[in-house]
Parts: sequence; structure tokens; C-alpha cells
Amino acid sequence: MSSREEILQHLRQNTRETYDQPDFCQLKPITFDDPVAEFKQRTTTTAGAKLLEMKEGDDLNIVVRQAYPDAKIIASNLSGVEAQLNPDSATVEELERVDVGVIRGEIGVAENACIWVPQTMKERAVCFASQQLVIVLRADSIVNNMHEAYDRIAASGEYFQQYKFGTFISGPSKTADIESALVYGAQAARGVTVVLTAQ
Amino acid sequence: MSTQHSKAAKAYQQKPEVVERHDRTFFGVRQKRDNMARALPEWENLRAMASQIKKHTVTHLADYLEQFEQQALKNGVQVHWAKDAEEYNTIVYDILSSHNVRKVVKSKSMLTEECHLNENLEQRGIEVIETDLGERILQMMKLAPSHIVMPALHVHREDIGNTFRQLIPDLDEIAKGYSAIGGSVTDPNDPTFLTFVARMHLRRQFMEADAGMTGANFGIAATGDVVVCTNEGNADMSTSIPKLHIVSMGIEKLIPDYRAMGVFQRLLARNGTGQETTVYTSHFRGPRPGGEMHIVLVDNGRSSILGNSEHWQTLKCMRCGACMNTCPVYRRSAGYSYTYFIPGPIGINLGMLRNPKEYSDNVSACSLCCSCDNVCPVQVDLSSQVYRWRQQLDSLGKADPMKKMMSRGMSFLFDRPAVYNAALWMSPAVNWLPGFLMNSSLNPWAYGHKMMKFPKKSFHQLWKEEKL
Repeated sequence: MSSREEILQHLRQNTRETYDQPDFCQLKPITFDDPVAEFKQRTTTTAGAKLLEMKEGDDLNIVVRQAYPDAKIIASNLSGVEAQLNPDSATVEELERVDVGVIRGEIGVAENACIWVPQTMKERAVCFASQQLVIVLRADSIVNNMHEAYDRIAASGEYFQQYKFGTFISGPSKTADIESALVYGAQAARGVTVVLTAQ
Repeated sequence: MSTQHSKAAKAYQQKPEVVERHDRTFFGVRQKRDNMARALPEWENLRAMASQIKKHTVTHLADYLEQFEQQALKNGVQVHWAKDAEEYNTIVYDILSSHNVRKVVKSKSMLTEECHLNENLEQRGIEVIETDLGERILQMMKLAPSHIVMPALHVHREDIGNTFRQLIPDLDEIAKGYSAIGGSVTDPNDPTFLTFVARMHLRRQFMEADAGMTGANFGIAATGDVVVCTNEGNADMSTSIPKLHIVSMGIEKLIPDYRAMGVFQRLLARNGTGQETTVYTSHFRGPRPGGEMHIVLVDNGRSSILGNSEHWQTLKCMRCGACMNTCPVYRRSAGYSYTYFIPGPIGINLGMLRNPKEYSDNVSACSLCCSCDNVCPVQVDLSSQVYRWRQQLDSLGKADPMKKMMSRGMSFLFDRPAVYNAALWMSPAVNWLPGFLMNSSLNPWAYGHKMMKFPKKSFHQLWKEEKL
């Protein structure tokens, strides 16, 4: 008998009484009067990111340039961003040297400043290896809590199609592994700027 | 004072300032957790729901594993099954050696500790680099984790600085880069500077590695996703640079679907480290373009735990570490006092389930204050389980002989009311014994404090006189 069969059989033999799933309607998760305001507040406090709001007619390219005037290598596959590298064609070795990566987030979560970032580029290293990360997010894509975010992802057919990866990101990479001192930029992005767009 | 834990804990008390600092560090995490819990009106609902979801999943685990496997295969993932640690180590080695892997970068996984994967691979000539900062520090210092979520908080910055200066040859070069980003090295042991040094050191490891390994916080049966939560992004770095990704996952990590995932994502960081979320909650559903993804499903005793009517609910545990942070014994005795690699309340129980004869020394590490039960996000009855293990010590041949003798004495006394009353009447006489006798090291009741005074009248007597 294979280990697979052995494990499954052992589990079935050892299962005594069984339990049902809970009634999820009972949960009543937290909601906010103004989820966008809540999201912005958490993004700039607990998550430790910067936040910029684009008005209609603003140019994303200029916003990025103004936020990071010293950046030498910008990587992005978003249209309208002038980038030196494109994560659809660059190698991970090249992406490891990126100063600023510009990517798009699809869902913002008010309760914890998480942003759902599905992989939409060939090399997702741009999301992690870039020194600074810019996440562009539509203000009308902000939901109250993680339950609403997961419901949206589960209901949508568009994620995980071409690339089988997606991640929630809440601010820059952090660690408190040395004597509990909070330090930004452990392994991945040292800083994050969230750019909220109207559309 | 007879178990390995109590002896080690006693030795740990020799440096009160270290104990005080350890205690304060982890109680601080407990307080942050409390703030998170209070901020959510639905908190207790979430816990009850998480417990129920896990009870449901582990009592339908074979079905969910089949569903998970089916989805993973459809996503282009290769799935392996390991019944024990030995088979697990062999599977991982075979995958690595068939890809000519010489260096692996690895994000934190307690399962690999449980199976001694690192030692196993290194013996066979494969270099393993831990990438979680705490784990990397411990690996360089050749130490074991002292906590399952914050493994190196017991290590002091001076020792970390010394280790880095000894083992990272281009540290001076890295320090120059630190000034380039606006840092200045005034204190060579400053955590911000040391973190930068580790960042640059680890970046090179990610680039040089031929494979990345991660654990799994959750596996989602409905979609085949493996979910890994980190603050540092090291699991993501480990898997977005090398093309080969191996996931090591205990079979109890499964949950049914995204609806359940919402519950657990909201509980894990809030309860474990007192954060609203980890920085990264990454869903790995399939291999990278041109890459490979393998999932190794590991039993290693878990299916037997399911059959244990008193202890099966330990399978609900999601390794958040909160039971350690709140435990007054853990906080004041630290991880290395325990003989099992997972310390604290959950470690006591998991150790006993692994091998009761070998790990029974840890069941003394509990004051039965039940604080762990109250913070556990999936409502495992940890302290009651410890209590139940204690009842079995005698049958394991592990009961303390002195306590056994006392129990016999007490049952003799309680069976004979006349003798009991006489003893009670005489007990205040003990108060007149000279202090050096009563407060000597032979009297365990005088350990750590003075011998108590017996009251002049017993509870029985006061009751009869209606003075209560």
C-alpha cells in the first residue's frame, strides 16, 4: 500500500464522531462608515506605508517620479509608467537591482490595510525584490474586511488564470526579530507607497 | 523539583534580569494581542468559528486531502505523501538531488524542525539557508528556536552583532551601503543596522540558491492554494527567485475554502503577534512560468492523534504561539527549559503525543492557570489536556516518588476521619518548630518562601462554630 493510501485509510479509521461547518451568517464581521478613510488611516499608521491620492487628470508617471526623484531603475508593466525594466521580459537578476517597482493592486481591505495583488507579470520578483514598491489601487475597490475580500476573489474568475499566485500586501517588509525592535525592510520592499486612484 | 523542565527552569532563574526581560518581552506580545481582540466586537465569534471549522476539517480530513490533491494536480503541482519524517526527508532530498540543487533558501517551518530536515540535507551535501531573520540568526549561532513564532527573541543584540561580524565576511562592504541609504552606524549592534546587514547577506543567498522551500500556514482544499504568512517577505523572496518551490505541509493544515480562510487570516496575526495582519499573506496555487512546485503532505503521527479521544483537538492548532506568550511558566523559564522542540502549553501536549515516555518531563511546566485556553484562537483545551497527561504519569512509570508517597499518605488519612481530625488538631504544633528545621531545603513547602503558619482552628472547626 502506498503512503498516500496508508495515510488516508488511517485517517478514516481514526475518525470517530464528525462535525459540521459553522454557520458563517452568525459572524457579523466589523464594517466601517467610511471604509476608504479607514483604509487610508491604517495604511499610513500600522502598515507603515505612504499614501498618495491621484486626482482626475493626474499622470501616474509624474506621481511616481515625484515620489522617488532619485530612482535610477524603475520596473513596471503598467501602461503609462515609464520604466527601465518590464517584469514581463526582465530576468530576476535584473529585477533584484530595481529601485522602484510599480504594480497594481485589485482590492484594498479597510480593517488591516491589506492590498490584494494578483500576479499579473511574468516575474513576480518585482513585487518583493524592489527596494521601494508603489501599489496603484482604485479607491472604489476598498472593502471592509478580509471576508469581503476573499468573497470577491472566490467569486471572480479573473485571478490565478495566467499566473497561479496572488498575495495580500500590507505596507513594507518588517521584522522585530532582534530584541523586538521594529525595523522596516527585512527582506522585501523597504518602503511602500499606495497610490489611490479615482478610476 | 525532579523533572528536566523544573531543573532547567531553576538554572534559568540564576540570572533574574534575563528572566525579567524574557517575561516582559512575551507578556508585551500578549498585551498587544489583547488590544487586537478588544478592537473586534466579533472576536469570540471568530474563535468559536475557527474551532468549529477545524473540528469539521480534521474529522473529514481524508476527503479534504483528496480534494486538495486533485486541485493541486490540476494546477500543475506535484503532490507527494510522507507517512513519517524519514520518508519526508527522502522525498525532499530526491526532488532536490534530481534537480542538482546545491543550495536551498528556506522560510520558517516547524515541520522541518520536527523532521530534522536541515541536518539531513546538510549531511547529504546540500546547503540549507534559513531566511527568516530570527531563524538565520539561530542557524548562524547553531542554536535551536526558543519560540515557534519569535524564535530568537531570547538572543541579545550584542551576541547577534558578534556573530554577524564573525560569519559575514563582507560586513564592512555592506556597512558602506547602509550609509548610502541614509543610515549611520553609531552603534554596531543597532537592530536597524543589523537587519540591514542580514538583508544584504540574505539577498545574495536568494540569488545563489537553486531551490526555495516554504512551510504552509494553510492549505485550501477547494482551490489547492498553499497560504504562507510572513512579515519579512522571505517566503516570497525564496520562491520568486529560484524556480523550484517545495512546500512542506502537515496534513492538519488544511481548511475547506476561502470562506474559512477569511476567519483564519483575521485570527493568526492578531492572536500570534498582536498585529492586524502579517505584511504578506501569499497564495501559491501553482508553479512559476518555467518553474516547478511540489507539495509534500506529511503525516508523521498526525493521523494517530486523530484517534486519541482525549487529545485529538491539538490537531486544530495553527501554531500562532499565543499559548506560550501568555504562559507564566514559559515566560519565566523560556524555550530551552522544555525537552520537546516546541515549548509552552501546546508543546507539552504535542511532545506527549509524540512520545510520552521521552517527553513527560514537560507536563510539570504548567500551573493550571488555564490562561492558554483563554487565548487559544481555536479553543484547544490545553491546560485540561496537561492535567489529563498528569493523571497518566504513574502508568507511564513517570510519577514523582515523593508525590506518590504523599498521595498514599493522604489517602490513608482521608480514609480515617479519626486520624485525620487528630492530625489536624496537632498541626499548629508545627508552628513551634524552629525555623531552621521548617525552612530547610528538605521541606518542599518552604521552597522560594517561608514555611506557612498553620491556623489555630481548622476550616471544619470554624464551620461548626458558624464562624464562616
